[in-house]
Amino acid sequence: MTRHRSWAEPWKIKVVEPIRMNTAAERDAHIREAGYNTFLLRSADVYIDLLTDSGTNAMSDRQWAGLMRGDEAYAGSRNYYALEDAVRECYGFPHLIPTHQGRGAEHLLSKILITPGDHVPGNMYFTTTRVHQELAGAAFHDVIIDEAHDPASEHPFKGDVDLEKLDALVREVGAERVPYISVAATVNLAGGQPIQLSNLRRVADYCRARNIRVILDATRAVENAWFIQQREPGMRGHSVAAILRMTCECADGATMSGKKDSLVNVGGWLGLREESLAQEARGLVVVYEGLHTYGGLAGRDMEAMAIGIRESVEEDHIRSRIGQVHYLGQRLIDAGVPVVRPLGGHAVFLDAAAILAHLPREQLPAQALAAALYLESGVRAMERGTVSAGRDPNTGDNRYPSLELVRLTIPRRVYTQAHMDVVTESVEEVFDQRELVHGLRFTYEPKVLRFFQARFEPVRMDLC
Amino acid sequence: MKFKTIIEPFRIKTVEPIRQTTEAHRAAAIRAAHYNVFQLDAEDVLIDLLTDSGTGAMSVYQWAGMMKGDESYAGGRSFHAFVASVAEITGFRHVIPTHQGRAAEHILARALLTPSAIVPNNTHFDTTRANVEHCGAVALNLPIAEGREPQTIHPFKGNMDVAALERVLGENAGNVPLVMITVTNNSEGGQPVSMENIRRTSALCRAHGVPLFIDACRFAENAWFIKTREPGYADTSPLEIAQEMFLLADGCTMSAKKDGMANIGGFLAMNDDALAATCRNSLILTEGFPTYGGLAGYDLEAIAVGLYEALDPAYLHYRIRSVEYLAEKIIAAGIPIVRPAGGHALYLDARSWLPHIPPHQYPGWALSVVLYVEAGIRACEIGSVMFGRQPDGSERAADLELVRLAFPRRVYTQSHMDYVAEVLLHVNTIAKDIRGVRIVEQPPALRHFTAKFEPLAR
Repeated sequence: MTRHRSWAEPWKIKVVEPIRMNTAAERDAHIREAGYNTFLLRSADVYIDLLTDSGTNAMSDRQWAGLMRGDEAYAGSRNYYALEDAVRECYGFPHLIPTHQGRGAEHLLSKILITPGDHVPGNMYFTTTRVHQELAGAAFHDVIIDEAHDPASEHPFKGDVDLEKLDALVREVGAERVPYISVAATVNLAGGQPIQLSNLRRVADYCRARNIRVILDATRAVENAWFIQQREPGMRGHSVAAILRMTCECADGATMSGKKDSLVNVGGWLGLREESLAQEARGLVVVYEGLHTYGGLAGRDMEAMAIGIRESVEEDHIRSRIGQVHYLGQRLIDAGVPVVRPLGGHAVFLDAAAILAHLPREQLPAQALAAALYLESGVRAMERGTVSAGRDPNTGDNRYPSLELVRLTIPRRVYTQAHMDVVTESVEEVFDQRELVHGLRFTYEPKVLRFFQARFEPVRMDLC
Repeated sequence: MKFKTIIEPFRIKTVEPIRQTTEAHRAAAIRAAHYNVFQLDAEDVLIDLLTDSGTGAMSVYQWAGMMKGDESYAGGRSFHAFVASVAEITGFRHVIPTHQGRAAEHILARALLTPSAIVPNNTHFDTTRANVEHCGAVALNLPIAEGREPQTIHPFKGNMDVAALERVLGENAGNVPLVMITVTNNSEGGQPVSMENIRRTSALCRAHGVPLFIDACRFAENAWFIKTREPGYADTSPLEIAQEMFLLADGCTMSAKKDGMANIGGFLAMNDDALAATCRNSLILTEGFPTYGGLAGYDLEAIAVGLYEALDPAYLHYRIRSVEYLAEKIIAAGIPIVRPAGGHALYLDARSWLPHIPPHQYPGWALSVVLYVEAGIRACEIGSVMFGRQPDGSERAADLELVRLAFPRRVYTQSHMDYVAEVLLHVNTIAKDIRGVRIVEQPPALRHFTAKFEPLAR
């Protein structure tokens, strides 16, 4: 077992936050009240919260000290310059537009680059990203490799772009109707799967020859850099920090949610190379977010993010971060629970379609599994399947993605190995009694990004 | 009371050093900033009176709240603490957090406005106006006549012109999706709105079936003016006055960076269930999930505590008195300012002070540049740069050419105020020599933040 301890945390605990285990009867009442949607549970009623790794990080004492150094001047805050330095040094984008979080950057970017009728290819959709593209009038096209849609495939870089698919799209609609390709590193909905540097470089070469911009979703690009270092031939000798810069060199711009890799609770940014685009973005950021030197963030939040960026590229940190995810994943694999393979960066994704094979897709097996896991143990996970995929804007039909997953997302620096052991046991318990899990159907379905606020009720077996 | 001196109802727990610069350094800095004080580095500013928005000092209780922040993505206990505070103070059924006030305005505008709709307001602030116009709607200002006369003394110069509102509602039936009332009225000099005026506005809106939303950024300061100036409220607490104000409305937008005593945050609150559902769906797209709205959990805690601190009578007494203290010194020296002094700021009347500079040479802007170069003070023009450009691209002189000296909450001491007074008295001796400016480059919206200027030759 010593092998699993190799990721021992490169820090000790400075401040704690008590949590509480509740009873099965309480959980039953809570999940009913929440309409069987884990998003609608109160955090006080959750034992181990694996809903998301977004904004749920534990900050370091240095980041808390940074909060105390916040310069809350409305214009020209020194914290802005600290953030600009950190982004230039670690990501390499000369122009920085801070935003209150990642979707603020996506919103700006979509507004600036997309003309109605455009087409935006990407290595698998992400919920908020695709909605912003669609609202700006573009159609999204998935150009990820086929292996990404197969949860059992052991391909080491399931986030790779399939250049043939990309080329087919560009030939069909014409390069002038493709303002940019959106490349995520890692790919969240494929299971936190990385893209390799050589693939990204080929994408960049292809796009530059056709005047198509490459926009990186850099949310978990540090985790992606770790996978490149570990898995891509010839990359072992490079530091994670160096690989991150090489990754960003392939892109003309990046949207970033600092709430993931950068170890903060709030904040994001848009990074750009072109001065003229940056000017346009600064003109818009003031309408939606805040003046361009704070972008809707407190000065202290920019300082905490600047420090978090530097902490995030330390080898010890990223090794222990992904080590913990893999510890949980390996234990589940050893127990025979179907999970997305290979293990990804920020989460372990349960293959709900395989686990609840008795439920048809329209009974939303991933949503049902997430609810069952909460009922069993108070562990909160997130559906990443049919409910998240939403409906096709043209036909109004459910989109059934090939992956019907439940995401056990690990907040950074928050939970211990013992917490992961409890999670393993809880998942095993549900897995052993999987035939007893009921399907779900909608009782309330919002039009956009329905997974956040939708409500459900169980479908009784004897009725269907 | 035996003693007249008003002291700060707090002592200092943490300080932030500021630095003196030379005039040569400042001249170089403002040149590099293209004569736009928004473009200056904060480090080059000695006393920063650019805005009272997000620049306040938090209390130890707010910092303790920061440490209690629950960063859960959904259903965090910090959200519930936040909702409990907002619901008690405003009484509104739905509370939707946003990363700051303009996001609340943006979401409300998107939910209610159609192109060509008319939105009356006692006076729109810059971001409110931008959000209304961004939807293609018309932002209509209806202040009382006294509100446009800097030298006229009136206890509630921020009031809505109710007769004009009645005409607008009568002539545009069906085309006014909401009426807004801004408390205090920032663009007209931080002037308060009386309860009686809110009550009459509310009755009118209800008679026409139009919802009334309060732009509540400085609701606590407004409550203090009602308490001290409006008959019948002397014995009512600021909290009770605030509750009465909100009871007259159907919803509010709020920047918690002002009377929320926080460095970041805002909210949208309302009673209408269907509108709240629409706003929450829109919120998810641009802000965040409805239980955090783009804020960290720790920010929600800081606001939950700060809203009550803003309503503390001892704090409000000190706050309003500090502005008056500076105003008295300036008025005694014969410098024209908007009278009476406002709640959060002192507004220099640049048009009267610098009559030799015509509006299209932006006297307020020129004055803001001089204040910086002479003394390292950063102030904000509220005049023809901020409001002069019309939606069709033409220029029109603003009603007032003001320079706002806005006071961050709990940040500067009486000595800082004495320094500011001394500087203004000095500028008064060189006022005749101040030159206008011209715009060299400007963006299409909210130009004051990023436009480039150059001084005009004598």
